[in-house]
Amino acid sequence: MPVPLPHDDAGVAMIDGGPVSSVGESPVATDGGGDAGQGRPLAHEGHRWPYWPAAGVAVLGLVITGVLVVLAASTYSTNENRLLNLRVRDAGALISEILPTVQTPLASAAALADATGGDVQKFRTFATPYAGVGRQFGSVTLWRLGASGAQLLATVGSSPVLAASPARANSFFEHAAGSAKLSVIGLLQGPHPRLGYAFTSPGLTGRYVAYAESALPANRRSSLQSSSSFSDLNYALYLGRTQNGSQLLVTDLKKLPVTGRHAATTIPFGDSAFTFVVTARNPLEGTFSQRLPWLIGVIGVLLSLGAAVLTGRLLDRRNQAERLAASLELIANENRRLYAQQRTIAQTLQHALLPEELPKVQGVETSARYEAGVEGVEVGGDWYDLIGLEGRRLLLVVGDVSGRGLRAAATMAQLRFAIHAYAAQDDPPAVILSKLSRLVNVTTSGQIATILCTLVDVERRRVTVTSAGHLPPLLLSDGSGTYLHSEVGVPIGVRSGVRYTSTAVDAPPAATLLAFTDGLVERRGETIDTGLERLERAALGQDGDLDELLDNLVSDLRRGGGDDDTAIAGLRWLN
Amino acid sequence: MTFEVSEETDRTLTVTVAGELDITNVETLADAVAPALDRNPQRVVVDVHELRFADSSAIALWVQWASAVPEIELRDVSPLLRRVVESMGLAETLNVTP
Repeated sequence: MPVPLPHDDAGVAMIDGGPVSSVGESPVATDGGGDAGQGRPLAHEGHRWPYWPAAGVAVLGLVITGVLVVLAASTYSTNENRLLNLRVRDAGALISEILPTVQTPLASAAALADATGGDVQKFRTFATPYAGVGRQFGSVTLWRLGASGAQLLATVGSSPVLAASPARANSFFEHAAGSAKLSVIGLLQGPHPRLGYAFTSPGLTGRYVAYAESALPANRRSSLQSSSSFSDLNYALYLGRTQNGSQLLVTDLKKLPVTGRHAATTIPFGDSAFTFVVTARNPLEGTFSQRLPWLIGVIGVLLSLGAAVLTGRLLDRRNQAERLAASLELIANENRRLYAQQRTIAQTLQHALLPEELPKVQGVETSARYEAGVEGVEVGGDWYDLIGLEGRRLLLVVGDVSGRGLRAAATMAQLRFAIHAYAAQDDPPAVILSKLSRLVNVTTSGQIATILCTLVDVERRRVTVTSAGHLPPLLLSDGSGTYLHSEVGVPIGVRSGVRYTSTAVDAPPAATLLAFTDGLVERRGETIDTGLERLERAALGQDGDLDELLDNLVSDLRRGGGDDDTAIAGLRWLN
Repeated sequence: MTFEVSEETDRTLTVTVAGELDITNVETLADAVAPALDRNPQRVVVDVHELRFADSSAIALWVQWASAVPEIELRDVSPLLRRVVESMGLAETLNVTP
C-alpha cells in the first residue's frame, strides 16, 4: 500500500529530529532549508524590494505624461497667442478707422474758417451736427492764433475744458500749428476727463484752429457690446505708445496694467497714437484646448499609477508562482526519494519472501531468479521455491498470485509456507494443490493464484507435473525443447477442494527443467504460444551453465521492459 | 479501458469492457459492477469483443464474479484471450463462448 508509507516515514523523521517544536515544521520546509541549490536564491530575492519594476513603470508613465502635458500646454499657448495677436490686429484696424471721423470734420471746419476769415456763424452752422450730447464731440470750438496767444472765437456744445487753462491751450495750439496732421492733446483731467483734438489750417488770413473735445466714459470704463464681434475680449485703450496708466482712455478691465496672456497693438492717430491691449475672456481655441493639458495630466497620472499597480500585481503573481514552483520541486524531490525508498522496501520484502538458499541435491544443479517489474513500487505476487525431499527428490514450485501489494505478498507467503508444510508430510503435488485450494477463496479475497508444482525424482529422472492454472515447464535436452503439458486444473482460489491431476515424464540425461511465471513470456498483443516459442528458442541457443542460462533468459526476454514481475527456477542433471 | 454495465429484466447483468484491462484499472471496474452484483443477478455476461488485453488480475475479477452468481458467460472472446483463459484452466469456470 503506497499511501501510508510517507506518513510512517515522516513520523519517524520527526521523532529522530528530537525537539517537539520541530514537529510543527512540515517535512518540505525542513528539506527546503537543507537544499542550498533552491532555497537560497529565493531567500535573497525576498530581501530585495520586489516592486522596483512597478516603480519604474510609474516613473516612466509620469515622465511621458509630463512631456505630453508640456507639449499640449505649449501648443495651446502658442495658438492662443497667435489668435490673440490676430484679434488685436483686427481690432486695431477697426480703431484706425476712427481717425477720419475725427479728423475730417475738424479739418473741414478749419478750412472753412480759413476761407471765410473766421466767420463764426458759418462755423456754428457747420459744427452743430457734430457737437452736443449724444453726438460725436462734446464740444467743437474755433480758435484764432495770434501774437498774443490763442483766442477762442466760437463754441458749439459745452464749454471746452481747455479754455480754463490758456497756457496749456497756447502751447498745445503752437504745437498743433506746426503739424499738418490731427493733433491730439493729452488727457484733460477733471470731473469728466476729456480728450482733445485740434486741426490747424495752414491759412493765409490768419491761423485758425478747429478744436474738439470728447468726454471719456465715467471712470473710463465701458464694456463692449455683447453683440460685438470682439465681445470675447477684454481691452484697455491708452493714449500714446505705452501702457501708461495715466493715459488710459477706456477699458473694461477691473485691474490694470494687464497681466497674464495679452496682446497689444499701436495705432497711429494724428500726431499721437493709441495703444490697444486685449486679453481673452475665454480661451479663443475653446475650453477643451485649454483644459487638454490638465486632462492629459490627470489621465496620464491615473494610467501610470494603474499600470504600476498592475505591474505590482503581476510581480506578486510571478513571485507566488515561483514560490509555488519551488515548493512543487521540493515535493517532487521528496516524492522521488519516497518512491525510491518504497521500491527498495518492496524489493527487500520480495526477496525476504523468497528462499534464502536453494537446497543442494547430489546429481543436479539448481538456480532461480526473481525480477521485479519496471514499475515495481509494489510487491509482486510471483514466487519460486525449491524444496528438498527425502530420497534425492525435489519439489520445484513457481506461482503467481493475482494482483500486487502487501495482500498479494501475504497470500504468496501463506501459500509458500503451506506448501512447505504439506511437502514435509510427503503429500504428492496433486494433494498439495487440492489442500491449497481450501486456503484461498476468490469470493472473499478477490485473489486467485496459479501454481506449478513439479516433483523431481533426481535419481529416477522422473518429473511429475501438476498445474493449477499455470504455464507448463520447459524440458531442454539434446538441443530440443519440450513443454511438459499436463491437465491444467483451475487456479487456487476458484473453488475449494479441487481435484488435480498429475502427469509424469521421464527426463533424458543432462536435461534441463525450467519453470517460470507469465512475466517471462507474456507480451501484450500476442498469444502466449508466441512467447513460449520465443523462450524455447532463447533457451536452446545457450550453452553455458544453469546460472548463466537463467541470467541470459531474464535479460534477453525482458528486454524492452516487462511491467510484470517474473520468477524462474531451473534444475539441470549433471549427467 | 471503458466499460458499460446494463441490467435487464430477466436478471441478466451485462458488462461490456473495451480497451486494456489490467491491474492499474481493474479496481475501477470492480467497484462499478459491485452494486449490480449485490442485487443478485441470475446471470452475468461479460462482453469482451472490444477488449484488447486482460491480465491475470482481470481474470481474477471475472472468476470472482463467476463465484458470486449462478451463471456466467465470457462472450465474444478473442483467440488471444481464449488461449490465456484456457492456459489457466478457466475455460469452463468462465464459460467462454466464441
